[in-house]
Amino acid sequence: MVALFQHEMKQNRKNLLIWSLVVGGLGLACILLYSGMQESMAEMAESFSSMGAFADAFGMSTLSLATLTGYFATEIGTIHGLGGGMFAAIVATVMLSKEEDGHTGEFLYSLPISRGKAVTVKALSLSLTILLFQVVCGVLYVLGFVILGEDVPWQEFMTFMGMQLVMNLEIAAICFAVSAVSKKNKLGMGLGLALFLYLYDLMARVIPSLEDYIDIGPYSYANASQIFAGNELSAGAVAIGAAVLAIAVVMAYVGYLRRDLAS
Amino acid sequence: MEHVIEIKNLTKHYGKNRGVEDITFSVRKGEVMGFLGPNGAGKSTTIRSMLGFLRYERGSIQILGKDAVKQHEQILREVGYMPSEAMFYPGMTVKEVIRLAADMRKLDCRQESEALCERLQVDVTKKVSELSLGNRKKVSIVCAMQHKPQLFIFDEPTSGLDPLMQTMFFSLIDEYVKAGATCLLSTHVLSEVKNYCDRVAIMKEGRLMCVDTVENLTRSNAKRIKMVRDGEHLDYLYKGDLNKIKDELIGHDISDILIEDPSIDEVFMHYYEGK
Repeated sequence: MVALFQHEMKQNRKNLLIWSLVVGGLGLACILLYSGMQESMAEMAESFSSMGAFADAFGMSTLSLATLTGYFATEIGTIHGLGGGMFAAIVATVMLSKEEDGHTGEFLYSLPISRGKAVTVKALSLSLTILLFQVVCGVLYVLGFVILGEDVPWQEFMTFMGMQLVMNLEIAAICFAVSAVSKKNKLGMGLGLALFLYLYDLMARVIPSLEDYIDIGPYSYANASQIFAGNELSAGAVAIGAAVLAIAVVMAYVGYLRRDLAS
Repeated sequence: MEHVIEIKNLTKHYGKNRGVEDITFSVRKGEVMGFLGPNGAGKSTTIRSMLGFLRYERGSIQILGKDAVKQHEQILREVGYMPSEAMFYPGMTVKEVIRLAADMRKLDCRQESEALCERLQVDVTKKVSELSLGNRKKVSIVCAMQHKPQLFIFDEPTSGLDPLMQTMFFSLIDEYVKAGATCLLSTHVLSEVKNYCDRVAIMKEGRLMCVDTVENLTRSNAKRIKMVRDGEHLDYLYKGDLNKIKDELIGHDISDILIEDPSIDEVFMHYYEGK
């Protein structure tokens, strides 16, 4: 199992490096740009805060763009949420199906490892890859705060990164289940799902009739502006997220263990 | 343990489509068993069921005295499998692939793999994406043999290999079999069965047609008859009571006649084509 875990981590290495440096680097660049835009931010914050539901959706009615924390929550929070969701979807969607899509299944599964153990190892490798993505991005964001000489709001920052990790794991679990029943890589479906879930959260925050259903989406409990504004996390949203994650993992096991593997 | 592979009443369907139907045969310890049949006959379905890639509906498979479903992982420790496609992870080097196969078995196979790579002329520094089919096949042979398994299962192993490497491959099998291994060889190449197999199982349309030694298969009642009858050249396989062969001759002008045993190729083609 250790050999397969190391192999899977090596397989994910390139994707992890590219996505964490791009998303984290973009976040860092945005943080560093803040000092140059600080003066104009005050005017922007005023005009944005009067945009009603749209301002609520992006948290600009509760947080001020004129502060680095507010700027981070509204701008970098969005970039990180979208980037993280897409990364989790990309890695998870191909995790199991890549063996059949790349015709490597007959090599891998002729080695002494049961399918159940293979699913476990791949799920663990996927989880660690997502965790490392969050760590690299988190370090780059903290670096931005330090370079600008600003205090890091640790409690909110760690809550945000933690919830982003859970949100990424939930998206990854759904895509992992898709991967378990697919003979071909369904990258488009995974990316589409991540984008749909982000848009669903955005719409649920803008459209009043959807407000009651906001907790269904994983972006609801990982929303940066809500966390940095000090709002309490919705226990219902987190519970739904945990349930979806658990069901998706069980479905991945059942689906992969029961079906025939293509050559 | 007399039988290394024991398959009883194996039945597998792909939805409404036929896979294999009621397959029963066994492979004895220390023999090289040929597994023949045209495309779609069910050879790969049988092999893939043995290795746990497919879930079958009925029947049982015992390999090395272990249940193929319940003791799947233990069986794979003692099996060296070479699939027909021989595909690996494109970003890896040959050395990494061979190492991964050994590490997954928790074995240090360096000595054996180095010897195999030398004999098969495998360049371990190359990336998998740079390899031709023949070279991928050679890597697959190394992965299947480096842990010195008790049972080899080869699915069309020589396609893509040059004649020199084909000879080397069979000489390696011979060495491992002499050392106590058993081999199931699925192939389309009749000469491989003739030259290297002790027994042969012939599949057709998902069913097992026969299992016998190569020698017995050619010692059948069928005879190849070549003759010039009433000025017409005839060449056909005669099956049936040899005493009644005179019915073919009486009342005709026979200017030449030759009655001989059919070649093994003809016997196999008879099963392939149902003639």
